[in-house]
Amino acid sequence: MTENDNGFGVWHGVDRRSIDWHPTVDEDRCVGCGLCVVTCSERRNVFGFDPERRKAVVIYPENCMVGCDNCRVACLWDAISFPDPSPLRELARSLVENGRIGEELEIRLKTDPAMALT
Amino acid sequence: MSERGSGPAAAAVTGVHGAGAKRWHGVERSMYEWFPIVDYEACTGCGLCLLTCGNGVFRWSSSGNVPVVADPGSCVLGCTTCGKLCPEDAIKFPDDPKLFLEKAIRENRIYPQVRRELDERLRKYPDHRVTGGVENDGK
Repeated sequence: MTENDNGFGVWHGVDRRSIDWHPTVDEDRCVGCGLCVVTCSERRNVFGFDPERRKAVVIYPENCMVGCDNCRVACLWDAISFPDPSPLRELARSLVENGRIGEELEIRLKTDPAMALT
Repeated sequence: MSERGSGPAAAAVTGVHGAGAKRWHGVERSMYEWFPIVDYEACTGCGLCLLTCGNGVFRWSSSGNVPVVADPGSCVLGCTTCGKLCPEDAIKFPDDPKLFLEKAIRENRIYPQVRRELDERLRKYPDHRVTGGVENDGK
């Protein structure tokens, strides 16, 4: 799997592959409870699972939602790590400053007028 | 809450997006308070939180040109994605997400339900059943 045909390849105009954000499983800590696997949405489905070894395996890291670390938060064994999120905030700031986010918001509110409270 | 899966209760706990009350691994979502809190002193109204949230927690105040937390009960327990992306760090949550979720996980003993959800996920997406952990390393 190399190409993204699922809409996850671009994040607000930025190539998703240029953004360092995905879980890493520490197999020494993973007990195979599977909570990370089912915490990730079916659409993104970043994890696979090895039933024999009882380990979660990251198989589609580029599907990981930028900024989401719900799998890490849910892991009681602290077996999942993510990169430092602060560069994401900086990237987000630059996308606000160059007008990209504003354009998307305008389109969203036009497409979905119920989003706006009167 | 059902223990072992049988009868109507088992059908009701299979997903989080079913009709009726939202459920989190078999637990009623409404038992917990978890939602973003916008600091309007810091918020610049960029709208990234609204665009980011996949659960429709936010709506938009056209008069104030700011996001409004319109559906807090749809926020995913322990999720802080909008807060991590907010360029102004203007979004807070009621608690530390890891402590909050650990408590919810332990007090509801969710793992039997998680196991059923895992089995279901692997049945539905057989390519996610991996062996050896080497042929599928995400590269």
